[in-house]
Amino acid sequence: MNPTLEQLFMKVQKPGRYTGGELNSVVKEKGAVGIRFAFCFPDIYEVGMSHLGMKLLYGLFNAQPDVWCERVFAPDVDMEALMRENGVKLFGLESRDPIDTFDFVGFTLQYELSFTAILNMLDLAGIPLRSADRGDGCPLVIAGGPCACNPEPIADFIDLFTLGEGEEVNLELFELYRRHKATGFHREDFLREAAQIEGVYVPSLYEVQYHEDGTVASVTPKDGAPEKVRKRIILDMDAAYYPDRFVVPFIDIVHDRAMSEIFRGCIRGCRFCQAGFIYRPVREKSAETINAQSHALCENTGYEEFSLSSLSTSDYTELEKLLPMLLDWAEKEQTNISLPSLRVDGFSEELAAKLNVLRRSGLTFAPEAGTQRLRDAINKNLSEPEILDTAKKAFSAGWTAVKLYFMMGLPTETLEDVAGIAELAQKIVNCYYYNPNKPKGKGVNVSVSVSCFVPKPFTPFQWEPQDTIEELEEKQRHLRVSVTTKKVSLHWHDAQVSFLEGVFARGDRRLCAVMEEAFRRGCKRDSWSEHFSLQTWLDVFRDLGLDPAFYANRRRDFSEVLPWDHLDYGVTKAFLAAENRRAHESQTTPNCRQSCSGCGAARWKGGVCTNARN
Amino acid sequence: MREIRIRFRKTGRARYISHLDLTRAMTRAVRRAGLPIWYTEGFNKHPYLTFAAPLSLGFEGLAESMDLRLLEDVPEDEIVRRLNAVLPEGLAAVSAAEPVHKAGELETARYRLTFTGELSQMAAFLAQDAILVEKRTKKGGMKPVDLKPSLAGAVYTPSQDGEGIMEVTLPCGSNETINPALIAAAYNAFVKECTGVEQAADCRVLRTGLFCGENLPFC
Ligand code: SF4
Repeated sequence: MNPTLEQLFMKVQKPGRYTGGELNSVVKEKGAVGIRFAFCFPDIYEVGMSHLGMKLLYGLFNAQPDVWCERVFAPDVDMEALMRENGVKLFGLESRDPIDTFDFVGFTLQYELSFTAILNMLDLAGIPLRSADRGDGCPLVIAGGPCACNPEPIADFIDLFTLGEGEEVNLELFELYRRHKATGFHREDFLREAAQIEGVYVPSLYEVQYHEDGTVASVTPKDGAPEKVRKRIILDMDAAYYPDRFVVPFIDIVHDRAMSEIFRGCIRGCRFCQAGFIYRPVREKSAETINAQSHALCENTGYEEFSLSSLSTSDYTELEKLLPMLLDWAEKEQTNISLPSLRVDGFSEELAAKLNVLRRSGLTFAPEAGTQRLRDAINKNLSEPEILDTAKKAFSAGWTAVKLYFMMGLPTETLEDVAGIAELAQKIVNCYYYNPNKPKGKGVNVSVSVSCFVPKPFTPFQWEPQDTIEELEEKQRHLRVSVTTKKVSLHWHDAQVSFLEGVFARGDRRLCAVMEEAFRRGCKRDSWSEHFSLQTWLDVFRDLGLDPAFYANRRRDFSEVLPWDHLDYGVTKAFLAAENRRAHESQTTPNCRQSCSGCGAARWKGGVCTNARN
Repeated sequence: MREIRIRFRKTGRARYISHLDLTRAMTRAVRRAGLPIWYTEGFNKHPYLTFAAPLSLGFEGLAESMDLRLLEDVPEDEIVRRLNAVLPEGLAAVSAAEPVHKAGELETARYRLTFTGELSQMAAFLAQDAILVEKRTKKGGMKPVDLKPSLAGAVYTPSQDGEGIMEVTLPCGSNETINPALIAAAYNAFVKECTGVEQAADCRVLRTGLFCGENLPFC
């Protein structure tokens, strides 16, 4: 007996991950649509369904009458085993049709460690892994999202990448596809023409040559593909599409609430932060637009909680205007507004209390580095007095817990900087005990989370060597002995995982073979610690004659051709190099609202680059 | 404040909604419908909703029961209409009315079990003097129960297309409940013992009604 999907659902944990049928999921008449799109998130349902970008494009694509976009997530271990055992191919949640019959299979690239999950999903779908092996009858396999800024490690598996924001470029791809489908679709012709659309990168149209030492010698376009592929951005955020409804899941997901995007980009320019560079320039939505969109979302979903989404919400210029507008209806309708760690001192206490700012998120800071010198080097504009001041205020209001986020392995970091993490945490503990109004009989808990710094493309640190696993572990030990109180609890990320992330982040095309072989040897859930095996990866690298340290731990020369140099995110290489030099001199750079540093993003003539400064 | 009992269907894709998730889905539906619902007081305010006899994940139901409290009067047919406009696929309000019975008066539920697979042993299975199964207790242990008394009134009809339909009434109250999945498990165990075949039959469960006693509809 070959069990139907329904029977499989009864045998797995949380069938709600696979059943579809949630409120606001879109079901269309198969015969009435011309383009079927499988929106694939290479992680499980609970993670993928929390992702705002997916909700946005799902809504936008389905707003096109002849397009039907469905959701696809990576099945968990139990479901995957049952699917393979019973010959069930990866299917769209809405129609339950196998996705190898769709026109487009699109992946969102949110983190490097999901790359092998993509291979696994293609394999489960019965789609050939390599673009070169796909015929005209295969879906077009496309990908976009932040990791598309260095897509080389998966270039052999993806037919085309979209760079930057997806709203316009995908619709242009659909338009081209309609034309080709009407006259007989040929993959190569389509890809060649698609490469002419701004923001579309067709890797098979670029030939990469290497020097003897393994560095890239040249990347040469062919068939008229552009020398440089420039990312796309949306300039007018008020006119941009925003969904008025989200799919409301039945099962509990990571972020189960309505979310409104309030701006894109970030003015700050923290030198370690890729998002701070690839999304430039900052473009805001007006308070009126956000208010209207937020209210519609809550009405159409019934969500009891709602949040504002951006890279740095306290930098939104109209926050003081927006919050009372939101509170006006949210209070009446018993909807909670949750805000990420805001700088609480900017608000009146009354407003802060209403928002439950603290209740929801607790008090969190991200100093990122333990000393002012290193914070200057990474351009993280948060001073010790600021942190201590806010902590004092929170303690006198009755709070007893603080969370601090740091990074380890930052360029120029010394053991002194590492010890500085412990010192800062200790000063916060002291603040608590000096506070005369501290709650009686209660201690304070300062939780310190330390991640390992991974140098990323399109940041000033793209040339820097990543600390080796040994160096990171040595620093972790140093931090452990520097902490002398039980009031401070330490948590850190696994240095092994960060190492692999670092390899992929700045990898080149030769990693495609590594990726495929590692997948064949069982690596397909690298972002889940219980499935992660560095040893398997090291074995594959050794067997294929490549050195992972070449990618992760090597200092690049400013003159080196980087594997992503033919992609253009607006920010110039000259600017990034200048920022790198300033980092080594512990020189800060003003944010975009204080003054323009000429990063290159002004070429779009929009957003913060053209706003008046005072 | 007015107490309202909503009777609803949970079928199709909605049968995979667990009870915990159903509470959340209904809470949001009631909010979308804009019904003037009463919220619990306190730190974590939420709409007050209670369900009679939670349905196991995977089962369908035609007459499920959910109580809520409205702060203002809304005509009963309008409650039904407003809910149905916003409920996800597979969930549908059937009626809304002031409750007649207390939740504690619910005693039995009627089920339609649709068996598929190897069903030739059904007559022999039902003819046994006792049908003993292990049942999970509230404390997490196992205890034996005899299904025979509950199955005495069961009506089993094999259908043309190889399926078998069993109509059965089972205890479903605060003192005693029997999950219909136990019947399928007992049948499979019986077939395995007689013929060695594992997992002979699959069984789909549809709850058709809730009752006080044997025959008085819970409403
Ligand atoms: S061009 Fe100037 S204002 Fe615009 S993003 Fe770059 S640094 Fe900021």
